[in-house]
Amino acid sequence: MKAVLEIKNLKMYYDTQAGQVKAADDISFSLYEGESMGLVGESGCGKTSVSMSIMRLLPENARIISGNIFFGGKDIVKLSNEEMNKIRWAGISMIFQAAMNSLNPVYRVGDQIIEAITTHEPDVTFEEARQRVASLYKLVGLDPERMDNYPHEYSGGMKQRAVIAMSLACNPKLIIADEPTTALDVIVQDTILRELEKIQKKLNMSMIYISHDIAVIAEVASKIAIMYAGKIVEMSDSVTIFKRPAHPYTVGLMSSFPSIRGAKKELVTIPGEPPNLLNAPDHCRFAPRCPFATDECWKKEPSYEEIEDNHFVACFHPQNLKKQVRANAG
Amino acid sequence: MPDEIVLKVENLSKFFPMKKSVFSRAKHFLHAVDNLNFQIEKGKVLSLVGESGCGKTTTGKTILKLYEPTGGKITFLGKDVTHLHETEDKKWFHSKTQMIFQDPFESLNPRKTIFDIVAEPMNIQNFGTLRKRELMVMDILKRVGISPPDAFLWRYPHELSGGQRQRVAIARALVMKPEFVVADEPTSMLDVSIRTQVMKLMMELIKEMNMSFLYITHDLAVARYMADEISVMYLGRMVEYANSEELINNPLHPYTKALISAVPVPDPEFKRKSVEIKGGIGKPIDPLPRCRFYDRCPFAMEICNQKEPELLDVGQNHKVACFLYKKDGGTIA
Repeated sequence: MKAVLEIKNLKMYYDTQAGQVKAADDISFSLYEGESMGLVGESGCGKTSVSMSIMRLLPENARIISGNIFFGGKDIVKLSNEEMNKIRWAGISMIFQAAMNSLNPVYRVGDQIIEAITTHEPDVTFEEARQRVASLYKLVGLDPERMDNYPHEYSGGMKQRAVIAMSLACNPKLIIADEPTTALDVIVQDTILRELEKIQKKLNMSMIYISHDIAVIAEVASKIAIMYAGKIVEMSDSVTIFKRPAHPYTVGLMSSFPSIRGAKKELVTIPGEPPNLLNAPDHCRFAPRCPFATDECWKKEPSYEEIEDNHFVACFHPQNLKKQVRANAG
Repeated sequence: MPDEIVLKVENLSKFFPMKKSVFSRAKHFLHAVDNLNFQIEKGKVLSLVGESGCGKTTTGKTILKLYEPTGGKITFLGKDVTHLHETEDKKWFHSKTQMIFQDPFESLNPRKTIFDIVAEPMNIQNFGTLRKRELMVMDILKRVGISPPDAFLWRYPHELSGGQRQRVAIARALVMKPEFVVADEPTSMLDVSIRTQVMKLMMELIKEMNMSFLYITHDLAVARYMADEISVMYLGRMVEYANSEELINNPLHPYTKALISAVPVPDPEFKRKSVEIKGGIGKPIDPLPRCRFYDRCPFAMEICNQKEPELLDVGQNHKVACFLYKKDGGTIA
């Protein structure tokens, strides 16, 4: 399999009046063709900063300090704005958080998608673009006759479908979906997630799902990266993450989630609050909330290592490892 | 008295007029809450669950008299509080009831200190001396986990994190030791790890202070953990009501079944069945006298189009409003 996206030691900091905010600190991962990955974390942990770095849609005070983002053999970090404009939408597209607000209320929905197509592919005529939008509408489960409606005539779920259609307009290799269903009701969320999954399989695209909701990620992603305070603390395939979480934060996250399946379990709380990323500490960032923290954790930051096949963790005291399981059983 | 009924709601309705202009009289009405019946015992938590626009927030606000009810009767601690006219009665009612709102970034006045915010109910009620109020504020802040409380008294909301703000909002609601609290999605704006903390805190306080709660949420999993009983609402109507474990494990109404099967499961190896119902939720403007779920229901029958189903007890205090079920158990199908 070929890697579609490869991120190596990405550091993206914000310069603020109060100091430097290390929003994405030493992020590395790769994404293969047709793979869907989930990026999970609480608000302010840097998951959106990572996606904005990939799209290079950064505010003025943000700087990519070091690292590389390889997409299609090119390092996005070093591209000029013109070159980047060609990659955006045609190579990598994005479904934004609160998609309902990302449509322009004074243009017809269909025309907004046509605009995206004709901007990136100037050879395409208006009629051809219209044809393509009609087939995109069918793909996402919308009636093509609704193309000439304005956004306010759509329901929340329909707007979300239209935004998904728009993200597919130029046949991108990679789609980043930033909380694509957070503002929707459960039943609509369910249909949208299934639609996305189906389209992704059909077109063999790569996807990055960004969400705070591990239940949503469990359903759509085959690989999961858990972020905490600007760092990826754990990454593996989704079954390993859910069945044998190694990082204490992941362990806590899994057991603090109420579920409607199975017997009612006692919820476990993670004490304290996520740290401020302003002038982040140089010890493990989870140490103040960690039940397993030792002196070592307060002295230096744990490195991000592959502790088992395809299971990366940044922790001095990883839990639930195969060896440990065996030791406990024996 | 373990079975003391704190709140009883009978045939409660709230319609909003849909006016075209200020001068014309409304011809159409939005039936936000339509003929609700339920009661809450002392120390119990009832959860109202439903999609956005189903009338769960309107129900909470109407009970607390933030809206004037269109019809029906509300009885609180044995007293009819449907329409309160006397100042004394209003004061009594509002000192015993409180509300916790969804968004702690909007529900706290940014120009007031934490002390002023939490002491406000006591100021309005003219309760105790300043010294007494101060002690009570310190006491409740400590209970909700804002510690040390004296370090926070003179801070402003913007200096606190989201979780701390919601704790302050809870402190404000509970400082007068109310009998009954409406909590409207109090944890939906909070992060996962903070959400569990706040949920646990509320459960502890409910037990400790023996309060009754109406817990409004869209999240069935949260309702399962917080509530003794769950009631599912659809377009202003109550479609099902049962003990929370019973409702989660044995849902009867087709809508409840769909709602439960649509909740994502945090287990990658679990394959959920797809939701069977189609379409989206509408608006109950002048609804026809038929089952409101008729358009989307996979089991819709002729009778569902002819009249509205009533909420029937099918045994063990499990109530459902659907023609598929008969009184005291048994199904038609």
